[in-house]
Amino acid sequence: MVTVMELYQLLPRTNCKKCGESTCMAFAVAMLGRKKNVAECTPLLEANFKKQKEKLESLLLPVAGAEETGMIVHPELCTGCGNCVVACPVDVANDPHGAGMGCAPTNDKVIFKVVDGKVLASNIKECRRFGKNKVLCYACIDPCPTGAIEFV
Amino acid sequence: MDMDFGKFLKSPEYDIKIITYRDIFHAEALESDRFGEEYKKLSAAISMSKTDMQKMGIKSGDRVKISNNFASIVVQTNESKRDEPGGLAFMVNSPWSNSLVSGETRGKGIPEFKNIDAKISLSKEEITTLDKLMKAFIKNPI
Amino acid sequence: MVTCTGCALLCDDIEVIVENNRIKEIKNACRRGAARMKGCSNRLVPCVDQKPTDIESSIQKAAQIIRNSKAPMLFGLDNSTCEAQVKGIHFAKKINGILDDTSSFCQGILIERVLAQKFRTCSLDDIRNKADVLVYWGSDAQDSQPRHLSRFSYFPRGELRQRGYEEDRMAIAIDVRESNTAKICKGHFYRIPPKGDREFILALIDALYGKVPAYDTKKMLELAGILKKAEFGAIFVGIGLTYSIKDDFDVLTALAQKLPNFNIMPMVGHYNMRGFNETMFKETGFVNKVKFNGKAVHDIKYSIMESLNEKTADAIVVVGSDPVSSLPGPVLSRLASIPVICIDPCVTMTSKIATVTIPCAVSGLESAGTAVRMDGKVIGLSKIIESEYLTDEEIMERLVEAV
Ligand code: SF4
Ligand code: SF4
Ligand code: SF4
Repeated sequence: MVTVMELYQLLPRTNCKKCGESTCMAFAVAMLGRKKNVAECTPLLEANFKKQKEKLESLLLPVAGAEETGMIVHPELCTGCGNCVVACPVDVANDPHGAGMGCAPTNDKVIFKVVDGKVLASNIKECRRFGKNKVLCYACIDPCPTGAIEFV
Repeated sequence: MDMDFGKFLKSPEYDIKIITYRDIFHAEALESDRFGEEYKKLSAAISMSKTDMQKMGIKSGDRVKISNNFASIVVQTNESKRDEPGGLAFMVNSPWSNSLVSGETRGKGIPEFKNIDAKISLSKEEITTLDKLMKAFIKNPI
Repeated sequence: MVTCTGCALLCDDIEVIVENNRIKEIKNACRRGAARMKGCSNRLVPCVDQKPTDIESSIQKAAQIIRNSKAPMLFGLDNSTCEAQVKGIHFAKKINGILDDTSSFCQGILIERVLAQKFRTCSLDDIRNKADVLVYWGSDAQDSQPRHLSRFSYFPRGELRQRGYEEDRMAIAIDVRESNTAKICKGHFYRIPPKGDREFILALIDALYGKVPAYDTKKMLELAGILKKAEFGAIFVGIGLTYSIKDDFDVLTALAQKLPNFNIMPMVGHYNMRGFNETMFKETGFVNKVKFNGKAVHDIKYSIMESLNEKTADAIVVVGSDPVSSLPGPVLSRLASIPVICIDPCVTMTSKIATVTIPCAVSGLESAGTAVRMDGKVIGLSKIIESEYLTDEEIMERLVEAV
């Protein structure tokens, strides 16, 4: 997962304010939060920053596809093994006799399902990482063999 | 990158031990089209640790010749994402890896599919195709 | 609910949406299974001498080749239903042929011992409900039986394992390669050198006896400690372990004896390879490598490898298998030097060198039947879409009549 520091180090770090933020660090935070995009940093458009700009764009690419909650599923990496389906505590709570036991989900309240060999996430607002009593849950990230799920 | 043919002509050979394994993306490619590009790309490939590759002067994406008494094939090198012990190289089990396996089973019926000794060197030749693999062993494929 | 034939887990909780006799959507199957259900892009057509013909002429030509052969061989049937396997065995009997399958150079040596009850074994449902210590040995389930960990072994909450993998189960990987399965086993991955399994087992047995193991002492004692405490353990034996100890398989028996709470489970790839071994065992007392001659004679020389090396067979019928792709290159010239009859739903490397090709239906998709899961449970396969193709069972019957 990309960090603010990684983004910051690729910026010109002159605090020129051309992007509208007061510092480059603030701009990095805004980019990570998807409030600003790379193109708004005009000095980066100059030729000598070409490499940094490309790197930034590639780092931020997944963010562009993120759901509201920040979860990104990379279907091209997913093997459809179903580990996340069975391990997610929300799926266990909402479907104890289906997904919780390793079987196919029996209702639509689960977060993860596997369709055409790849995982499909829905009901993401139920994820424990969000809402009032949020916790830093890793139960879908850790069991994934290929790093197909990340949070940004 | 410009090709430096002189470098290839002198490219040194190294001994390697190849371990074969199975991969789900490769299995998927096999199910859908065993004569397709994807299956070839995932089969005709070898991965090694960064350290081994540096030692041999091989970079990710370089083509290498793998040869032993049974066959000589050209595949693409990939740097392993894992931290591998030295001296081992990895190939997905496929007709490419099988071409390097001895037919001798010491009367046991089980060949050494997973434990192949071979030599590796940089190559400028094309990646070996399935067609070429078959022709190497079968004189007149019908 | 239908069954996936992508591997010997035979997941029977798959949902499919069929539209105009085509599969439109597949739910719950892994990537491998979904690819299997979508089918291959090039279907086989009937050919004689690589020239297209009709299925009737193909079958007649195949029968003629077999009639003219002194030592015909039937090979494959691992991707066929149990019903087709029974018919295949009858066909081999009728032609006094040699019969072998992929298991002779795969997990046959292990399944033979499981069927002969040399090991304690259990069902995958037992594992889901009771198992607390899981050892994936020379097995990358994540890539070969992708839903193994999620459906049965590690992640599910079972009867006695209500807290699931977080607290109630421990997964251990022993392998030459840090596989995807090993990655999930994180702190409990034991890396061994190639062919190091035997030494590892011997050291582990020492550690279990309380002796100081000669090999990797600290980790070995730690592992022995974990295994001893297990209430219900399972060792999932992959092809990596089987190949590595094939010359001295008894070391595994010795280890199993020292671990009374453990079960041995063969990890099988082809969806009905265990079915072939069981059907053969019932009909002949052997799991593979047989020649029929009034009775069944079992000998290593009837394995596919030795049949080719020693030129024991002079014609071969291949059913649902692609030996040209899976055998060592150096024996292929021998295979190509005898007439090959290839029965398969798809164009394969073997069909490309075959004298006769006979297309068949995809079992579990275009034809129904039963198959045996890797733990021995019989699972039903359903017919999901209509097709014109003969099943391999019907083709076996037709060949019996035609010879
Ligand atoms: S972070 Fe936890 S609760 Fe959220 S989807 Fe992943 S496993 Fe489920
Ligand atoms: S655990 Fe990872 S690979 Fe498996 S289904 Fe979930 S996202 Fe896909
Ligand atoms: S684990 Fe095997 S049987 Fe289950 S869906 Fe995947 S390929 Fe099919």
